[in-house]
Amino acid sequence: MKKKLRDFIFQELVFVTDPKRFGDDDDLLEAGLDSMGIMRLIMFIENEHGVTLPDTEIEPDNVRSLNALEHWILRHKKE
Amino acid sequence: MPLLTAFNRQCQTTPDTIAFIDGDRQLSYRQAGQLACRLGACLMHGQVPRPRVIIALERGIDAAIAILAALNAGACYIPLDLKNPPNRLNYIIADADAQTIIGKGRRPDWLEAPVPWLDIGHPPLAENAGPPAITADDAPAAILYTSGSTGMPKGVVLSHRAMRNFADWAAVTFKISTTDTIASLAPFHFDLSVFDLFSSLSVGATVNFVPSNLTLSPSRLTAWLAQHRISIFYTVPSLLSFIALKGNLPTPPLPHLKTVLFAGEVFPARQLQTLCGLLPATNFYNLYGPTETNVCCYWPVERERLQSGHPIPIGHPACGAILQIDGTTGELIVHSANNLSGYWQQGKLRPALTTDNGYRTGDKVSLNGQGEYCYHGRLDRMLKCSGHRVEPAEIETVILQHPEVLSCAVVGITDSTSGQRPAAAIVLKPDATLEQIVKPVKQQLPAYMHPCKFIALGSMPCLANGKTDYGALQQLLENS
Repeated sequence: MKKKLRDFIFQELVFVTDPKRFGDDDDLLEAGLDSMGIMRLIMFIENEHGVTLPDTEIEPDNVRSLNALEHWILRHKKE
Repeated sequence: MPLLTAFNRQCQTTPDTIAFIDGDRQLSYRQAGQLACRLGACLMHGQVPRPRVIIALERGIDAAIAILAALNAGACYIPLDLKNPPNRLNYIIADADAQTIIGKGRRPDWLEAPVPWLDIGHPPLAENAGPPAITADDAPAAILYTSGSTGMPKGVVLSHRAMRNFADWAAVTFKISTTDTIASLAPFHFDLSVFDLFSSLSVGATVNFVPSNLTLSPSRLTAWLAQHRISIFYTVPSLLSFIALKGNLPTPPLPHLKTVLFAGEVFPARQLQTLCGLLPATNFYNLYGPTETNVCCYWPVERERLQSGHPIPIGHPACGAILQIDGTTGELIVHSANNLSGYWQQGKLRPALTTDNGYRTGDKVSLNGQGEYCYHGRLDRMLKCSGHRVEPAEIETVILQHPEVLSCAVVGITDSTSGQRPAAAIVLKPDATLEQIVKPVKQQLPAYMHPCKFIALGSMPCLANGKTDYGALQQLLENS
């Protein structure tokens, strides 16, 4: 799952020169993920994983890093 | 009549009405008026030679008071985007040639120019705060810096007459009154803030500053709008699209929100339709106009005409503007009392209008069957990125400063949510790598100007006449 998230984020939303060196806990918001990027990312995740991410949980701590995103998605996949 | 005359009158007629709310802090019109006069008096001494005051404060009560103080002192205000990198801020500060910078706390280390720094937390004790300065109608009230096609930021100079003409038109057209609460989200260097501040304050409405962290969380933003009984909200379509998608609107949805205004970029009809469906009792308006003319055209959204894939019109002339379409190019030319006085560059006002005071927008428009104006994009290379105006030349200038770069070109590539995003093609010196360029370039540009893609090319694609083939580059960057 993380690979697909990585590919989408670094191809479409955030430009870093070497995505391989971007750690799973590195800060995506600092790297330039903005509110419009978050919106596209959520649309991508919902289509790709068939989950609905609750509106009330869209907040910086859930989208800050690749690990945070994965945790957030997994929490809703189980339901 | 100076821009603040109406506000100063409200301080007398509705002194106990709340003027500003900023989190836990609020000020009545009386308190706001007193603070603005007291701070204004600190500015008057040095006012005569350079009647310009730079505002180095984040959107909020302090910044609003600083702006009112500058205007009361007969100076114009120049709001900075503090998210800009220091090199861009220092360029603007030097270019503005101001008497004072109003900020908070001690003078920041990045500040190069020897301009006096006034800490709004500890203003010097002013002598008697006199009456507001008498200011001529054509004196500058604000200089709003925007991206420049020559590669450097340029200041759009707006007179008291121009800003008052817009503020009054909006207050009447959108029926703002002392019972309204306006949500202010646009930073003060954006022209949307002219509405938030001056239309509201001229009629005794309340301005409530939206906490900035809410833009990352649409459901918390809508909860905030509900809780604070916001009645009017002026913002950019991308944020409204986010609300339409994930706003988690309560039932009944935002009963106090009577009017939503949007501007700055094209609102795709499908997303607007969704939002209109979610907010059945709210009136929507599409406002159009570059910073140079503020709103010159507007369209009250007719819900039944919204059709996915059909761009919405920009509508009818606003603010008493007379609009004209260039017969050859289709360019929109605006004659309006809102029009800028000129561009501020290197301490001087430079003309920007045609001989008969029209402003050539660079936007291609046409009239539809209903006599409404419709927007068809730019005639030049300017980009619109999440509501920000971006001149590719400004990004190219920064990239070209790097010794490893032989040539470069920046074009816009389409993005389903931000409209356009800049992308850069670079021809490097042998042995140089993109890695050497990307980080320093990003450090020198505000985030909304960061190219979303960089590619290295062996040579720039050219047209037969030797000029850069931007069309080919765009295809290359869209598909890479």
